[in-house]
Amino acid sequence: MLEIKNITKRFGDVEAVKDVSITVPDGSFLVLLGPSGCGKTTLLRMLAGLEHPSEGQLTFAGQTVSDGDKNWTVDPAKRNSGLVFQSYALWPHMSVRGNVEWPLKVGQMSKAERTARVDEVLELLDIHQLAERYPNEISGGQQQRVAIARTIAPKPGVLLFDEPLSNLDAKLRVEMRTELMRLHRATAATTVYVTHDQIEAMTMATHVAVMNHGRLQQFGTPNELLENPATSFVATFVGTPPNNMIPVIKNGLGYKVGPKHMPFEPPKQSPESLAMFRAEALHVRSEESSTSLPMELVEMSAIAGRTMVTALRDGLRLTAIVDGVPAAQIGETVHMELPPEPACWFGQDGQRLV
Amino acid sequence: MADVAMSGPGRRVYFRQGTVLKVAVLAILIALIVLPLLRTVLFTLQPETITAWSDVLTGRLSENLFYKPLTNTLIIGVVVSSFCVLIGGFLAWLVVMTNVPFRKTIGVMATLPFMIPSFAAALAWGSLFRNDRVGGQVGWLQGMGLDIPNWLAWGMGPTLIVLTLHYFSLAFTIIAASLATVNSDLVEAAQIAGAKGGKILMGIILPVTTPALVAAGSLCFAGAVSNFATPALLGLPVRMQTLSTRLFGMIEVGQVSRGYVIGILLVLISGAFLWAGNRIVSGRRSYATITGKGGRAKRFDLRASRWPLFAVAFVILMAATVVPVIVLIASSFAPSSADLFANWTLHYWIGESSPDFAQGIPGIIHNNDIVRALLVTLALGCAVAVTGMCVGLLTSYTVARYREGLMSAAITQISFLPLLVPGIAFGAAYIAYLGAPIGPFPALYGTFALLVIAGTAYLLPFSVQTGRAVIQQVGGELEESARITGASFFRRLASITVPLAVRGLAAGGILVFVKIIRDLSLVVLLFTPTMPVLSVVAYRYASEGFAQFANAITVIILMISIAATLIANALQTKSQPWLKN
Repeated sequence: MLEIKNITKRFGDVEAVKDVSITVPDGSFLVLLGPSGCGKTTLLRMLAGLEHPSEGQLTFAGQTVSDGDKNWTVDPAKRNSGLVFQSYALWPHMSVRGNVEWPLKVGQMSKAERTARVDEVLELLDIHQLAERYPNEISGGQQQRVAIARTIAPKPGVLLFDEPLSNLDAKLRVEMRTELMRLHRATAATTVYVTHDQIEAMTMATHVAVMNHGRLQQFGTPNELLENPATSFVATFVGTPPNNMIPVIKNGLGYKVGPKHMPFEPPKQSPESLAMFRAEALHVRSEESSTSLPMELVEMSAIAGRTMVTALRDGLRLTAIVDGVPAAQIGETVHMELPPEPACWFGQDGQRLV
Repeated sequence: MADVAMSGPGRRVYFRQGTVLKVAVLAILIALIVLPLLRTVLFTLQPETITAWSDVLTGRLSENLFYKPLTNTLIIGVVVSSFCVLIGGFLAWLVVMTNVPFRKTIGVMATLPFMIPSFAAALAWGSLFRNDRVGGQVGWLQGMGLDIPNWLAWGMGPTLIVLTLHYFSLAFTIIAASLATVNSDLVEAAQIAGAKGGKILMGIILPVTTPALVAAGSLCFAGAVSNFATPALLGLPVRMQTLSTRLFGMIEVGQVSRGYVIGILLVLISGAFLWAGNRIVSGRRSYATITGKGGRAKRFDLRASRWPLFAVAFVILMAATVVPVIVLIASSFAPSSADLFANWTLHYWIGESSPDFAQGIPGIIHNNDIVRALLVTLALGCAVAVTGMCVGLLTSYTVARYREGLMSAAITQISFLPLLVPGIAFGAAYIAYLGAPIGPFPALYGTFALLVIAGTAYLLPFSVQTGRAVIQQVGGELEESARITGASFFRRLASITVPLAVRGLAAGGILVFVKIIRDLSLVVLLFTPTMPVLSVVAYRYASEGFAQFANAITVIILMISIAATLIANALQTKSQPWLKN
């Protein structure tokens, strides 16, 4: 079990991480997902032991490795964990073999064992033919593999990744994604993976923790996040394309969407609520209807035999996935029709309304 | 939560991360920099010394003690910095933006004067222009039958010229670096908008480089007002005093508290100008960061004025570099500076003591004083290089790794404080600080240790900057990824940090070495006959009229500096085996 209990981290007056609690079973693939500056990397660095939490506890398999309240810490090397840095941090003066071998040397493994283990991981990552090269002599994708090989060589129980794919081009990124998942199955190590890319999170994770402004927004399986977003932030951050979030404003006559009264009723009386609509539930019409909004067509792109249509009006941006291609041209006005009921409601504070 | 869970291989965290390191570094910096300055100020505030303030500022002698030297100092500062910015800016414009012939050669030569010790040019000036006003040998031009007027031989005029020829290269370096960032796109955008040459210069290039011009001006000002060697060699014989020569004189004659007061005022003046320059620059929007990719496409075509402008640059650069060096070398061979290129002898270098020559002073290799000074100087250079790089690396590591917090800010500020303090005032502060016993520690005046400590502190801004460059190469995740493997601090140092940083450290150390061996202003007050250093020995010989020995010693310093600089450059550029492509 990997437990994160009420972790808070302050840098001076700034609270980078605020009261975050997450627990996942051994062997999980936990993704920390959020925009840049949300505290996910700080949390990862605390797990690695590079930062000490201001409050709260971190526990690996029953062993407390950091305790901010009791000022207790286990050195990074004794946590049975390994970290793959975003920059890879390969030592430029050591060959590929040297990079992978050095941590084992520090761990006082015998020469014969070391050689065997290095060969094994280089083989596992398919970079054995590069063993004698220096880091500057291999490509970015290969450097990435060396960094991973170096981290898994000492067989850590917890593997930590800091945005490992962000420096790779789109095609390599997809390949490495598959590779990392294969590796996760092969090593069975509990993995914590930081990314701002929700597609990576949705494809790789067994558990996702969505963070924003240092707070945990929601923790669950990828499906739970998609089916049951807990906050409006989660609802608009995950999913491809993202969900539509529309402000519904109460006035004397009823509820207004944009300039128009529509027959929606939020579960809680409030001057303003947010209604979530899934992209596939929207339709693009050429004629006005009771739940449609006239908007300017700004983008169209073909996706897997369907069309993703985006329209804009007064800062409100709606995305729909529709069959066929709308007749309208970019720049013309289309009528974006909403379904009779939103998928769910959120309050003004972003919290889900039941 | 049971404490049992915590009985494993962990440990208690007593301090926040980095606190111990930060406290240690801050303590070192306070001991090296803050305490000497504080001690100097406090010394002048004691009941028996506080009158020094009124003596200097309002007393009967204040005119001679302070106001006349102050006027001279300010004249030197203003004139030298103006001409430095003009000449440096002109050369930088030629090199960076035009198609003047031999651009690269001009660029290299313009950086050389700053490598030459500032007293070298003053000595060379004397060998050329001395007239018979103060007695002793006359210079070459007088010897050739020219009648050199006093204003060209002594005092303010030569001081201004020599200092300008020394400091313009500082202005050149700063302005050229800034001009190089003026993207040719900027100029082309103005051309497309219809602007012509003059409009582009006044409307685009000048405003964009203003911060560099201000920075160059204020640094040249601070350098010129605190320079000691040039006014001492060219001005003192005709009683022209500046604040730095006054400070030196006061301490030499034992009026220590008045000397300290003058030193404090000198620090305030040069600090105020640097601060003001910095304020003007930082008040503006940062221009330097707005750079796109675009390479430099076209150079400004000088057409017919190509060669005339080249000739102007050539004359300035010759006067600042080649001529002084030739004169110094020639004069170390010539028995009479009135006839520089005749009767050459090696006596001043290898001659035995003989009553016919230079009052029996033996040539350099038989002269125990000079040989000892050479050894002390080399040892001092090596010691300061090592201690400076250690402290510099530790400081820059601490600041790079733990950026936040009041202590880190304090460390950064204090480490750059010596930039505001003229060398001679810093030397004076160290006499106040370590000249007398502190508690159980003995007085260090006249010891090698004092020179090393003062040199380390004085050059700290420079070594911290070098250290920072090294840390940028090595720091951050490379070091962290080693920490995560469980390697101890020393193992990380030996296997990761040092192999990656060794060349940068060595190059930085050598540059510190060069700076300290050619320094005069810091050591001139710390000098004692038991602990002589070359630059002060040269200065003493020069003021006693033995120009040949002074010049020969200066040539030695020059050669060591040049050799060391070349080694440092080779180290910095030499490709590292794992970086080959």
